[in-house]
Amino acid sequence: MKRLMIALASATALLASSAMAQEKIKIGAAPYGLNAEFMQIWAAALQEHPAVKSGEVELTVFDGRYDALVQQDQFKTMATQKYNAIIFAPIDVDAGAAAVQTAADAGIPVIGSNTRVNSDLLTSYVGSDDTISGYMEAKTVLDKIGCKGNVVILEGPIGQSAQISRLEGNKKALAECPDVKILEDQTANWSRAEAQTLMENWLTSHPNQINGVIGQNDEMALGAIEAIKAAGLDLKSFTIAGIDGITDALHAVKAGEMTSILQDARAQAQGALDLAIFAAKKGDYKPQSDIWATYKDMPWKDGKEKIYNVPWTPVTAENVDQLLATRK
Amino acid sequence: MMSAGDNKSTEGGKNANSWLGSEQRRLLIQEYGIFLAFVILVAVLSVSNEFFLTAGNISNVLLQTSINGVLAIGMTFVILTRGIDLSVGSVVALAGIVSASFVTSSATAGISGAPYPVALGLGIGLLVGIACGAISGVIVSRFSVPAFVATLGMLSAARGMTLIYGGGRPVPALTPAFRWIGTGNILGIPAPVVILAVVFAISWWILNRTRFGRYIYAVGGNPHAARTSGINITRTQFVVYVISGGLAGLAGMLLSARTGSALPQAGIAYELDAIAAVVIGGTSLSGGVGRVTGTLIGALIIGVMNNGLDLMGIQSYYQQVLKGALIVGAVMLDQKRNYGA
Repeated sequence: MKRLMIALASATALLASSAMAQEKIKIGAAPYGLNAEFMQIWAAALQEHPAVKSGEVELTVFDGRYDALVQQDQFKTMATQKYNAIIFAPIDVDAGAAAVQTAADAGIPVIGSNTRVNSDLLTSYVGSDDTISGYMEAKTVLDKIGCKGNVVILEGPIGQSAQISRLEGNKKALAECPDVKILEDQTANWSRAEAQTLMENWLTSHPNQINGVIGQNDEMALGAIEAIKAAGLDLKSFTIAGIDGITDALHAVKAGEMTSILQDARAQAQGALDLAIFAAKKGDYKPQSDIWATYKDMPWKDGKEKIYNVPWTPVTAENVDQLLATRK
Repeated sequence: MMSAGDNKSTEGGKNANSWLGSEQRRLLIQEYGIFLAFVILVAVLSVSNEFFLTAGNISNVLLQTSINGVLAIGMTFVILTRGIDLSVGSVVALAGIVSASFVTSSATAGISGAPYPVALGLGIGLLVGIACGAISGVIVSRFSVPAFVATLGMLSAARGMTLIYGGGRPVPALTPAFRWIGTGNILGIPAPVVILAVVFAISWWILNRTRFGRYIYAVGGNPHAARTSGINITRTQFVVYVISGGLAGLAGMLLSARTGSALPQAGIAYELDAIAAVVIGGTSLSGGVGRVTGTLIGALIIGVMNNGLDLMGIQSYYQQVLKGALIVGAVMLDQKRNYGA
């Protein structure tokens, strides 16, 4: 009896939702995990998209909990519930391909966002090229130290695609300054606390030798800053760079302690959502997000491009207050 | 267990005149092996790296050991009663972020009216830790749920509460007064090191000089005998989790004060380093045997090893392999001590 009730109730719910689907476009967003600030900004930006606010699109965000299998199961759920399109930020380049296959089998278009996936079945992808940011941050450091002296590199978890690409960019910039010596080059796993410990130890083993710190993300650059402060050294004698533009880093840039490069989570999210609606409506759609007007270097091109590269924006004394105002 | 050890020392006594009889030498190595290992490690690092034995680096090692040291001391209490506390890493994050929200000067990340005085922030952080420990303690002692399960539940729940409380965002801009507990100095000694020393001294005193300390050993060594001799096992078990939780709260505040920002991802897998320090320090996972001094040395060995390998520019992967070998080696030594060669 109880089972029958549940069956009836869920059948009614299904009917109700499919009736609603006729009016609204159902889009699922599958980010790899929602524990860190970047993905929270990303998810919040989706909710603030004009099409979601107007009720044209019904958006559901699935927390992937940093687990490829969890993401795959979520794709199966979305396929059963007949979503019209999916926005996907996979935890892993290769493991994500199976999830995309699931959606393709069900005839659901998938738009990649932020992280890459090895699949030809992706309708399109909106993200930022990490080799470019890796090059940009290293170049900033090298320019400031005058293309000579010593640097240390704080790397992300070895083998993650962002670490690989950012290191490639770092190395490209370093190759242009053959006189610069890399004193140390280790992973701090994107973590502020781990980077702080590493930097404390490096300041000991290379006293008065480190000129530049290349942090592959802001968290690690901030850890290095804390280590330098704790050692009683003058931050002015170090050039420190990070990537991502997280809020703490924006404050540090404002204080003149480091440089950072903004990875625009909002643009990656809203751009992907415009493309998802475009695919769901089979081309009968004009993009609504203001990001297309902001980034002239990333034209909409009738939604036909395979890859949309969101440009990186260096955080400067001029734009930092404006960026901070967007973070509540 | 005890009688076996006593027998051996009597046997060894026969060779008392030849000071280093083989049996006695073996006992000596087993009893003080961990201390010996520590001395050898320090000696090797001092010779191989010119910076290792400098005042600045010694201060660094102690600083880097302080947080794990505090956690490991709490863990020692729990493991001595045959328990385990897997939740400390998550409690570090929860206590860190809740206390931080009281002492941040950020207009948006804190609770209304922040920043409050440091004492309030510290009190709140300790309370959060104690509350988590008390919940685990009640579940283990009253409801007889295995400690592994109860604290595994708390590991997940406390992490979830951390993300809910802070909305998944970090709490930055902690007041300089609060940050002092992580970055300040007392007579040239880093504040976290002084805090570790105080925690160690009090814990040593409790375990070696008080009736409650004897109860802890008794409950872990032989629960049945403890019960028949009138020891309140439920209360003893409850209190050790409260101690572990409270110290995890303290460690959480040390961490946020040190990094300058309370992060929701803080403390992930810290329980493993704490357990490692306890085990390397010779405390038996089967309860009743172990010393908090050993734990302190265990934590120092981990800290010295990480620092030394960093100084020599060796990849952190090797540090993990070495730590693994140390843990297993220490337990092998422990097995030999308890059950004979």
